[in-house]
Amino acid sequence: MPQITAETVKQVLRDLYGYDISDDDARRIAAGGGALVTSSEHLKSLGLAGIEPPFGYPVLSAEARRLNAIKK
Amino acid sequence: MTTPHDELLSFDVATLADKFRAREISPVEVTEAYLARIEQVEGKLHSYITVTDKVARKAAKKAEAEITAGKWRGPFHGVPIGLKDLLYTKGIRTTGGSKILADFKPDYDATVWARLARAGAVLLGKLNLHEFAYGISSSNPHWGIARNPYALDRIPGGSSGGSAAAIVACSAAATIGTDTGGSIRIPAALCGCVGLKPTWSRVSRYGVLPLAYTLDHVGPITRTVRDAALMLGVIAGHDRNDSTSSRERVRDYTKALDTGVSGIRIGVIRELNDGLSDDVAKSFHAAIDQFRSLGAVVDEATIPSLPLAGVITGIIVSGEALEIHEDWIRTRRQDYGEDVRRLLENGMMTTATAYIRAQRARARVLAEASAALASRDVLIAPGSAIGAPKIGEGGLLGQPEDRVDVGNAILRFTSPFDVTGQPALAIPTGLSSEGLPLSMQVIGRPFGEEQVIQVAAAYERARGAMPRPTAI
Repeated sequence: MPQITAETVKQVLRDLYGYDISDDDARRIAAGGGALVTSSEHLKSLGLAGIEPPFGYPVLSAEARRLNAIKK
Repeated sequence: MTTPHDELLSFDVATLADKFRAREISPVEVTEAYLARIEQVEGKLHSYITVTDKVARKAAKKAEAEITAGKWRGPFHGVPIGLKDLLYTKGIRTTGGSKILADFKPDYDATVWARLARAGAVLLGKLNLHEFAYGISSSNPHWGIARNPYALDRIPGGSSGGSAAAIVACSAAATIGTDTGGSIRIPAALCGCVGLKPTWSRVSRYGVLPLAYTLDHVGPITRTVRDAALMLGVIAGHDRNDSTSSRERVRDYTKALDTGVSGIRIGVIRELNDGLSDDVAKSFHAAIDQFRSLGAVVDEATIPSLPLAGVITGIIVSGEALEIHEDWIRTRRQDYGEDVRRLLENGMMTTATAYIRAQRARARVLAEASAALASRDVLIAPGSAIGAPKIGEGGLLGQPEDRVDVGNAILRFTSPFDVTGQPALAIPTGLSSEGLPLSMQVIGRPFGEEQVIQVAAAYERARGAMPRPTAI
């Protein structure tokens, strides 16, 4: 299972988001965010082979039409 | 003759509509009664962020003139309502419960509000919520800690806490909430009123500040099932401004209200029938007995992957919410409340692979829920494992041998039906030994709101009136 350390959190926030946080905050995020990443592994047990993500082309094309309608 | 305020405030939407139309009472006097009630209870409840008294008085006068002239717009004409302060209202402050949007005045209305306004509804104000709808306590650090009308030291639930508290406190006749992990049904459950999360895409999200695009729902919070049905009838339907909104036909949701449940097949969800407090278990099992006595056929149903719904919700919300808040969290981190800031920063650790996997897993949960409904009309489950927690009471509750995680004891009952997008309605089942509201959910097939309403209405009639809150 993946593990996230406080040091990794601090580096991600500094490098990707441009700010520094305290050691305490980093530890809390490592625990909370790390738990999410770890628990995502459990989803594999649902047998997801062949299941598409629920993003459909009809919404994509409708959204494009809507954007063009706003431009007019 | 002027009707005493208490009586005016006791009328549900359906009754108000009848009385307005018959010109027994007027929208102006009812609106004044509500504004006086808000003045009376707001110091204790903090259910409103903004009271729009001038707007309300103007709309009430207009409604009165129209009704007097014989131009009745329908059941919401002249009815005083409140909106969760997540819905855009043109020219009226829309904060999202945040400091960041403290002065934001949208230049257009959310479709839901536009439809209600067109139906003649009177806007009393914008209701308090958990900051940016990201949490279940509504203990808002910027606009006041919303409180439960049944016990002022307890949370009303969230994120639509002000919307439910206002209904129970009679400081709005009907309100609108939003639901991403349970934010309509949790406050309805903890405050003792009706909360209807419609099928995802049934109601437009245009002009609603998003928490998570693919999980956000908008719906009614009301005193009765009938009022929820009436309100859904106004707000449902395709909206060309929301490409994800459904073109499925909008039905007359009041049609099945009086049909009863004789012969209706109801499945009790096995995965949500454990870990209940004694009061919740007793109340929920009494509701099951009630259904049987009304002629319904009740058995056990299973959705095996349901326990993973919390993981799915957590991953999707953390990714989508961070995408929405990314610029603000970079530049205005200090302006977020501590809990919301932490949740957003947790999202910075979520990977794209986890997000996609969580989205794909939704189909598995919906497939199992649909299979459970293949031989049944609706499913039922408690609205929460516990009554309303005390304000500030997070983390673990109880003795070491049977500790309960507060968030899990609530969210695990509601988030599965945001994941599946099915309609789900929370309805009170009575009060606990501590005098706190308890609740049950009725869950239907996608776009099966009619049956959900039919079953909930039958139970509501058999249950009788809920005891009024005494804390306010």
